[in-house]
Amino acid sequence: MDSTMGKMEEPEPSTRENETTDMALFVRTSDEQFAGWDRQRIVDALIRETDVDVIAAQEISQEVEELIASSKISMVTAPLIRELVDAKLIERGLEQARKKHTRLGMPLYDVDQLILHPNKENANVPHGPEATNLTLAERIKKEYALLTVFSEEIADAHMRGDIHLHDLGFIDRPYCSGQSLEYIKRFGLSLPNSIAMAKPAKHAEVLLAHMVKFAAALQSHFAGAIGWDAVNLFFAPYLVAMKDEDVKQLAQMMIFEFSQQAVARGGQAIFTDLNLYWEVPRHFEDVQAIGPKGEYTGKTYSQYEHEAQRFAWFLFEVFKEGDGSGRPFFFPKPLVHITEKFFMTAGHREFLHHICNVATEKGNTYFVFDRGETAKISECCRLSFKLEASDLEDAKQPWKMRYCALQNATLNLPRIGYLSGGDDRILFEKVEGFMDMAVRAHLEKKAFIEKLLSYGESGPLALLAMERDGSPYLRMHRASYLIGMVGLNELVQIHTGRQMSESKESFKFGLKVIAHMKLLADQLAREYGMHFVLEQTPAESTAYRFAKLDLQNHWEKAHRVVKGDIARGEVYYTNSTYLNNGAVMNPIERVRQEGLFHPLIEAGALTHIWLGEAKPSSESLANFVIKTFAHTQNDQIAFSPEFTTCNRCHRTSRGLAEACRYCGSGDVDGITRITGYFTRISSWNKGKIGELHDRYRNQAFLRVEGRNESREGDMIELISV
Amino acid sequence: MGAIKIFMKRQCPKCPAAKDVGEQLKTRGMRVIDYDLETIEGLAEAAFYGVMATPTIIVEDGEDNELAAWRGIVPTPQEIEGVLQANGFFSS
Repeated sequence: MDSTMGKMEEPEPSTRENETTDMALFVRTSDEQFAGWDRQRIVDALIRETDVDVIAAQEISQEVEELIASSKISMVTAPLIRELVDAKLIERGLEQARKKHTRLGMPLYDVDQLILHPNKENANVPHGPEATNLTLAERIKKEYALLTVFSEEIADAHMRGDIHLHDLGFIDRPYCSGQSLEYIKRFGLSLPNSIAMAKPAKHAEVLLAHMVKFAAALQSHFAGAIGWDAVNLFFAPYLVAMKDEDVKQLAQMMIFEFSQQAVARGGQAIFTDLNLYWEVPRHFEDVQAIGPKGEYTGKTYSQYEHEAQRFAWFLFEVFKEGDGSGRPFFFPKPLVHITEKFFMTAGHREFLHHICNVATEKGNTYFVFDRGETAKISECCRLSFKLEASDLEDAKQPWKMRYCALQNATLNLPRIGYLSGGDDRILFEKVEGFMDMAVRAHLEKKAFIEKLLSYGESGPLALLAMERDGSPYLRMHRASYLIGMVGLNELVQIHTGRQMSESKESFKFGLKVIAHMKLLADQLAREYGMHFVLEQTPAESTAYRFAKLDLQNHWEKAHRVVKGDIARGEVYYTNSTYLNNGAVMNPIERVRQEGLFHPLIEAGALTHIWLGEAKPSSESLANFVIKTFAHTQNDQIAFSPEFTTCNRCHRTSRGLAEACRYCGSGDVDGITRITGYFTRISSWNKGKIGELHDRYRNQAFLRVEGRNESREGDMIELISV
Repeated sequence: MGAIKIFMKRQCPKCPAAKDVGEQLKTRGMRVIDYDLETIEGLAEAAFYGVMATPTIIVEDGEDNELAAWRGIVPTPQEIEGVLQANGFFSS
């Protein structure tokens, strides 16, 4: 019942029954009609929504009616009636009933502020009506999640900041996903609730159109990234006999489509990861290729290597050119997989230089290292999935290779440090306790999603329940349940007195903490039959949230280790297992040391190499990549330059500046990588701004060979010895 | 003095042989430390050395710097002694 009432008339002194009928109250129902006051609606709502018995419900409704009648209130609204009923429930000690009866929403003032001012929790969401809709819906779903989906203990753990439950506003969705183009190549587009159905594509442009539509549909069902496996390889059968300029055109269309389509939640671009290979991955070599009309071409994918490489090459040409004003594309993100086979594939050297050229010019390239012949697909940013034997069987029918993470729950590691008082035993016990809470959160979310999926193709998750190949699109038995971490560096600093980059003992202690988490995750995975894995939480806002909460609740200890500028409120914890962002160290050594954690973080990890305004040679980046693959355990690296874009003349220059270098306007915005993607700095939260100030941009390791300082026009090298 | 660090797991077919090599070296007065990768200490130490296969045997110089490593294979005690002698940590 959603009611808004008109002006009340003074009731005549009479029996209660007469008072009710004499009250000339108007109720705006949820059908947007006016209806007369009827306290029976209060009774009906209490019985429908709570466990209150009929007699209590009637008594409460009478008390509320009397209260309204005897008051001098001139305008009575539905929310007020609900609050009055809730007050009566509290008076009677019916707290559980009160929780079930509560109204979710936001104060009028907050809605007003929201419509007028941008929300910076997610730097990817532009300010506008769709963004406002998103925030309003998220707030309600967040409250719903904390009241209904999660138990009180887990909800409180989140509110306290012991753990962070990511994307609560998307409680009715899984987290992120990885899919195969083979699905739409084979089955076309036949989505639940869509008006039209499309048969499998005959032409590459149509396949692209299907991919974009499907991605948009998927994005409305996942909170996080939509990853695509081996994109260039699966497009290859459609590119045969296409001229180079047409393949380049297709590459351009793909990138512009995914970079500009502001149709995802809140009006942001779809968070798209394109996984690319120079070689044909071993697990696809002998797989029968699907081509135009969704039919087998009679060849295996190993026979399409040239077409796949051509497409990958042109994709990176487009990335290098940038958008219409030469800016780097924010999306889609290209993840190139470097494997042993890569180095044995003809042309790899030229391709490596090509993608390193893009990395230094625009920063787009992600280098994913798949060592030891282990098949691995990246689903999104840093989440990866090692393929097991059953998956390798699925690889023969690649449309089956669909994976997801259902949820991410992140541990506040510095908090554990504050609570442990320097005692190792207590610290490791607390880690176990926090992990138990994360696991419980996963069990609760899993139960909720399974409930939604049980409604099948007529339910709220119809697209995820659709079965075009005999299995639901969302394969729950292959879902991962992520356990993330923030602030390992600060935990170590509190506990040992030094940061991880400051002493070997401190660094090794950090490894012990993550080893403990890994062993616990494995044990819990066996116990529950669920794939619990550690993940490096990107922590775009979580690192800020945890730092703020700890400064409030653990000031004495927290203010000594929290990073950033406390006076300006630009505070943060170091992300996940990273070394201090500001530590002055050789970047290859940072990559090596941070990489030592990566084998423990099964869901994938990443190291950033901040470049500032420097533009090192492709050659030096290629050498760096080769060294990283050969001599470290690092899972993934990305080089991040910085840019300034002018909102007046629309030109973009290198480095962060207060004014445009071309026209001198002060109306400029910075662009660089926030966590796992590029975005405008004006959209960043305060914690990330604080981190930006602290980032070490490898100045001492970016120089002209033979001298420390470079002059304009010099070829700069990123030193990696 | 350096140490010989042996990384093992349960249900690792070659690990008993590696453990046996370690026992032999201990009887000759060398400092041998066994690490079980299913313990916190063992897994953390393995991560520090980038151990990706078991058994792995690492000879270090007393300051955690790796002098030699055998990853996924089992050397003879003599091979290990040779490395220690070459680095001045052991005389036969």
